[in-house]
Amino acid sequence: MTCVHCGFCLQACPTYLALGDENDSPRGRILLVRALAEGALPLDDPDVRTHLDRCLGCRGCETACPSGVPYGHILEAARATLNETEPPPRLARAVLAMFARPRFLALALAGARVLRLTGIARLLARLPGRLGFACAILAASAPPLATRAYVPSARGVRGTVAVLAGCVMRGLFAHVNRATERVLSTNGYRIVSSPGQRCCGALHAHAGDLAGARALARRNIAAFEQTGAEHIAVNASGCGLMIKEYGHLLADDPAWAERAAAVAARARDVSELLADAGPAPGAPMPRRVAYDAPCHLLHGQHLARQPLAVLAAVPSLDVVPLPNADQCCGSAGIYSLVQPLLAQQVLAPKLTEIARAAAPLVATGNPGCMMHIGAGMLRARIPARTVHPVELLDASYAAAHGATPPDR
Amino acid sequence: MTRDELADALRAIVGPRGVLSRASELLPLSADGLPTYRLPPTLAVLPSTRQHVIDVVRLLAREGVAFVPRGAGTGLSAGALATGDAVIIGLNRLTRIISIDPVNRLAVVEPGAVNVSLTRAAAAHGLHYAPDPSSQTACTIGGNVAENSGGPHCLKYGVTLNHVVAVTVLLPDGGVITLGDADGETPGYDLLGAFVGSEGCFGIALDVTVRLVPDPQAVRTMLADFMSIEAGARATSAVIASGILPAAIEMMDGPTIRAVEASIYAAGYPADAEAVLLIELDGLEAGIDDEARRVQAMCTEAGARTVRIARDDAERARLWQGRKKAFGAMGRVAPALVVQDAVIPRTRLPDVLRTIHEIAARWNIQVCNVFHAGDGNLHPNIAFDPHDADATDRVHHAMREIMRACVDAGGTITGEHGVGLDKLEYMPLIFSPESLDAQCRLRSAFDPERRANPGKVVPVHACREWLATPAARALA
Repeated sequence: MTCVHCGFCLQACPTYLALGDENDSPRGRILLVRALAEGALPLDDPDVRTHLDRCLGCRGCETACPSGVPYGHILEAARATLNETEPPPRLARAVLAMFARPRFLALALAGARVLRLTGIARLLARLPGRLGFACAILAASAPPLATRAYVPSARGVRGTVAVLAGCVMRGLFAHVNRATERVLSTNGYRIVSSPGQRCCGALHAHAGDLAGARALARRNIAAFEQTGAEHIAVNASGCGLMIKEYGHLLADDPAWAERAAAVAARARDVSELLADAGPAPGAPMPRRVAYDAPCHLLHGQHLARQPLAVLAAVPSLDVVPLPNADQCCGSAGIYSLVQPLLAQQVLAPKLTEIARAAAPLVATGNPGCMMHIGAGMLRARIPARTVHPVELLDASYAAAHGATPPDR
Repeated sequence: MTRDELADALRAIVGPRGVLSRASELLPLSADGLPTYRLPPTLAVLPSTRQHVIDVVRLLAREGVAFVPRGAGTGLSAGALATGDAVIIGLNRLTRIISIDPVNRLAVVEPGAVNVSLTRAAAAHGLHYAPDPSSQTACTIGGNVAENSGGPHCLKYGVTLNHVVAVTVLLPDGGVITLGDADGETPGYDLLGAFVGSEGCFGIALDVTVRLVPDPQAVRTMLADFMSIEAGARATSAVIASGILPAAIEMMDGPTIRAVEASIYAAGYPADAEAVLLIELDGLEAGIDDEARRVQAMCTEAGARTVRIARDDAERARLWQGRKKAFGAMGRVAPALVVQDAVIPRTRLPDVLRTIHEIAARWNIQVCNVFHAGDGNLHPNIAFDPHDADATDRVHHAMREIMRACVDAGGTITGEHGVGLDKLEYMPLIFSPESLDAQCRLRSAFDPERRANPGKVVPVHACREWLATPAARALA
């Protein structure tokens, strides 16, 4: 599959739309990478680095490409090559190192929870600059719905599921993880425990740290093999795509290639599993919600219908269209930290559309997007919260169980 | 001024992020949609406002520097590449739709506005912009004006020229003039007609006023598949001869069908067919089903295996996506691609296609044909491996023979892609020296110094005034 330079990707590229420079477009970057590969440009060319660093890795171009160019893999390989001559910026390295160390990460996220719980994050969220946005991101991770736990009528006819706990999901979105388990149980899946999980490695792979990503992948593969579960449910679309790509990541490792492919084949986004099951309808929730598609769900995993099926299972939920919902919000893993200005520029048109849609809830199935969009709304004083689709379904099931109404 | 001084002077106008001057960052502007040409420019400027464009062109005029206007770079004739030291002026940051007037069905747009974005913006009023080149999701209206772009629906609705009513032109010397008139005909010479399709040689469109067309009340999109190209061509001729004027009749041959079906835009074309026809009828609800039945019968009569009508908008969109992304899908066949563009009399379609197949067989190359069958606009695409010198050579020989065959059949060398650099060598096949000279003199009226998109469209040796220059005499 090769790029024939048709340019059909240009309008699918958030950075090209924001900057209007073909260097910041998929076909422009492919030309730059090709020049590196052919030796026409040196590996330490600063322009190549700048324009590759600016790529969100959203893969919107892959959905637009008639020739099926595997842009995401080209980007990761190019970044890995560039990293050999010059390591990524210190901030990026620090974040990646933290995600590779579970205890360190748990401590950091516990600290973050304290900032969130005490309201400090929310208080500082309007400060200008990077610190203010980081606090807004944290504040945006708080649960938007007060849903009381209920005991799902677990039947387990659809097979066993191991749920990926996730780093940010476990640390800041534990409520979404609980909701994921309850809605899967309600729909006939039996949850099995899966100890020994690590970060999926997506952040590392996107940054070109393929060795780091592979090391984490091997540990997760071993952990999921232990569970014997038929499916691996993932409620963070970035992590889901990474696990689905473990086969590609470890294709050149003879000891692991087959095992990686087998685990990858079992990975499913939570919305896929739910859509397969119906999903069962809950109690009515007359709320207005806009759906924004996470890039790695839509462009990476090609799942457009399934999240909408989850929302459709909530009776009287008013799902309003969000124009350009297929375009990246600018979160993109650690991108919003390392490219703060551009991340805001990419987010701006989405916030305009959200304000126009006038929905108090924006549903999206990835923690990065939930926090980035949520933070943008908080700072732009748009009266809306982000919510994971399974949270809505869970609240609807809770209401059907006679728990508190799904609102506060 | 040295190059560096010029770059600094340009930066003073557009800001530091609007000038590309290093070899690496100029690389992405070294090609347009035709991957066989690579000409890295030495300098490029990306203005963000209309005033930037005017100031940039005036600076270049003062310095006597040539320039090349460029939109999205989706052109297919190497027209937006820089020859020599020409500075590329990228107009892709001027994307605004300035106004939409639903009552008079007019819109004013900046040159970098993307074709489909205008149709999207007009949709709320039940209107659309009719010219729909296959690259409409990416190409710009300014580029469409430069190339006088067509598209599948130009069979019924006409090409860009039929939809542009006025253009504000920035002349190469920095003067600003208005051609045409939004309110109707203008007296005097039809300079708007001359400007549309001038491929960036007459100046830069600062804004374009276009007609919007009401969405049809009813649309029927049909897919007919055939076991031979000839049968598809017979069906096309039968439909046109019947007096029915479809909105579009598009044909794709077997290799194209299979490339599309392997892509993300798979449209459900039967993969074992040797030709499919995509026929769209539009108009009033009353009578359209009757017309559709007649077209269906004519296709069956000509040998169609099946003829199906899209059931809903989603299926209709899918059928069209497959056709429109066909050229982009050729990367599945081989790494590089020559996209050709020729027009032949519709009745000669079967013979010309037979000739093309003979040429392809003789040179041992694979041709994938996509065409606007209704108006005889042929796009033979040849996918090949550019690292194979022998294959590349064979492709170029075959291409020339194909172009000649089209001309011999009474056709011409471009339907909608323009001449650019790619078709220069074919111009003398179509025009007498006198005709080419007349084109040169028209160009001189707009751009006496030949600084706007130099070296494109008319072969320079055809210009008598150039022949009189010392340079030409030295060459002779």
